[in-house]
Amino acid sequence: MVRLITHNMLTCHVRNCTKDNFPLVFSDVELVVREAPENLDFIRRFLPKLDWAALVDTARSLGDESLPGTQPEEFTDEQLRALHHVLMEMHVEEGKMTCRGCGHIYHISNGIPNMLLAEHEVGR
Amino acid sequence: MPLYALRVSLSHLSFRIPELLSISQLFGFEIKFVSSDKFRSVLVVELEKDEHVERILDRGMMVMSAIKLYASGGSYEELHADLRAHKEYLEPHMDQSWKITFESINHNVTEKRQRETIDTFEWTGLRGPIRLKNPEVEFVIYEDYTFLTEGTHDRDFRLRRDGNFDRVYFGSRIGFGRARPLLNTHSVKTRAYYGNTSMDAEMGFIMTSQTLAAPGKIIYDPFVGTGSLLYAAAHWGAYVIGSDIDGRQIRGKAKGKETVPGVFRAAEQYGVSNQFLDCLVYDVTQSPLRRGGWIDAIITDPPYGVRAGAKRTGKGKSHKKPLLEEPHLLPDGTYSHTREDYVPPFRPYELTNLMLDLILLARYLLVPKGRLVFFLPTVTEEYEAIDIPVVEGMRELKVGEGSVENFGKWGRRLITMEKTATDDGPPPTFEDHPDYADFEKSQERAPGHYQFRDRYFESFKPRVGKVADEVREESEASSASQGPA
Repeated sequence: MVRLITHNMLTCHVRNCTKDNFPLVFSDVELVVREAPENLDFIRRFLPKLDWAALVDTARSLGDESLPGTQPEEFTDEQLRALHHVLMEMHVEEGKMTCRGCGHIYHISNGIPNMLLAEHEVGR
Repeated sequence: MPLYALRVSLSHLSFRIPELLSISQLFGFEIKFVSSDKFRSVLVVELEKDEHVERILDRGMMVMSAIKLYASGGSYEELHADLRAHKEYLEPHMDQSWKITFESINHNVTEKRQRETIDTFEWTGLRGPIRLKNPEVEFVIYEDYTFLTEGTHDRDFRLRRDGNFDRVYFGSRIGFGRARPLLNTHSVKTRAYYGNTSMDAEMGFIMTSQTLAAPGKIIYDPFVGTGSLLYAAAHWGAYVIGSDIDGRQIRGKAKGKETVPGVFRAAEQYGVSNQFLDCLVYDVTQSPLRRGGWIDAIITDPPYGVRAGAKRTGKGKSHKKPLLEEPHLLPDGTYSHTREDYVPPFRPYELTNLMLDLILLARYLLVPKGRLVFFLPTVTEEYEAIDIPVVEGMRELKVGEGSVENFGKWGRRLITMEKTATDDGPPPTFEDHPDYADFEKSQERAPGHYQFRDRYFESFKPRVGKVADEVREESEASSASQGPA
């Protein structure tokens, strides 16, 4: 895990980091693809919550080119399936997520991201 | 509408009606409670059709079996009179193969009287063959006795009591509770991973019914710990997400690159790995979540300090220096926070603040009509209904006096809230709420969960101003120094 559906919901939350803080950029990634049962209704319902540009950029950075650059107005089932694959089946097990704004690196190990802030980064 | 008699466990009585209501809301049917006393072993309900009682058998953790009710009475005379008046109920069964099962509840009836009782139904004139194995219809007699804790070991007492049931019911079997066996399959004892804060399986499932968990929903636990509240939600097909300030709880002891974190090992054991979207390590008061309005339910058992103290990043009274403004450079030329074993400082998170923050967080993260379900520990004597913080856009769903698990001097209340607001609203700020700064100095009464941890270790003796202050400072100093790593 870190699936891309979760990644799309995560932003850098370091104090005063408000510019270029989303999406976090993956690097040194160990990617695992695990098949998951499709629930296309869920994907359809979740669409309005997604940031499409961030999702496409991230998927491409991990070598998946299946998503169109601009969000289609109507999704075909085939496109929803591609989206299902990107959101639910791509797991980043090891690696880093870096904020383009402040440079904070969030480490992922055993599929769990550590998103605790350092002392000087904590909001006050 | 037809009546059904449910045979229900006597455990967690105050959770019974909320659970049944949640099942009816989840599947969109109406349920009416017909029994005058809703807290006996047999509960009579009115439902539109058999399919609805099947949903109750699918999901009701406390439901053991259900019959379609044909007749009942305070005595067998009343029962037979009732059944004679409703002979149409038996019509569809007249030519079916059948048997009668006798079930006495909270009492054992001798086989002889069971047989005699069954024989009194001869007048019905059932034409079908009797078949003890796989009959087309199984008639059931429930004799419901009052649950007693004393006297039942005495044979004479039991014989005198025989026949003095509260009420007797007769109907045809719909089926047995299919959710209740989950108590065994999900028992913490046989779980691949658990900790000292794991919720027991039954309560985990009961809490989960309040979230209306179902396929395609996202359910989030912001104090996930060892994940015990997410297995039930995942079992019902929901996608689940957990976060915790202490990653050791999620991961477990095993270390190294190829290890599977404990929470995911248990998820695998239950066949729900695919339902676990992610588990993340962060402080919920310093949350990386980008937006609100996308979580269907929040379920959590907040840390109230007895087994695990609530913590948040920052510095408290026990720290000598204020928070650093700049990163700390170590003698070897690296920054302290870039080291792998770096842990930020933590300070205690007072329960009154945490509770209000949790409701504010739910107001932001939940979809409209989404639910927040959590346990609120309180000092029993001091609890009042106003202890639940009021937040615009969130309302409490409460049945009667609410659902309480009582441990004597303290108890925990299961609070279910629904988001009434239709917007996301701003994210909560998680500042210390000034109202809760110091109840000792103000004239106001403190909520029943204020400083719960300290009160627990003081055996809940009443609090008086200054002494209490000292006790608190001491325990704060000791708890802050044991921050998670």
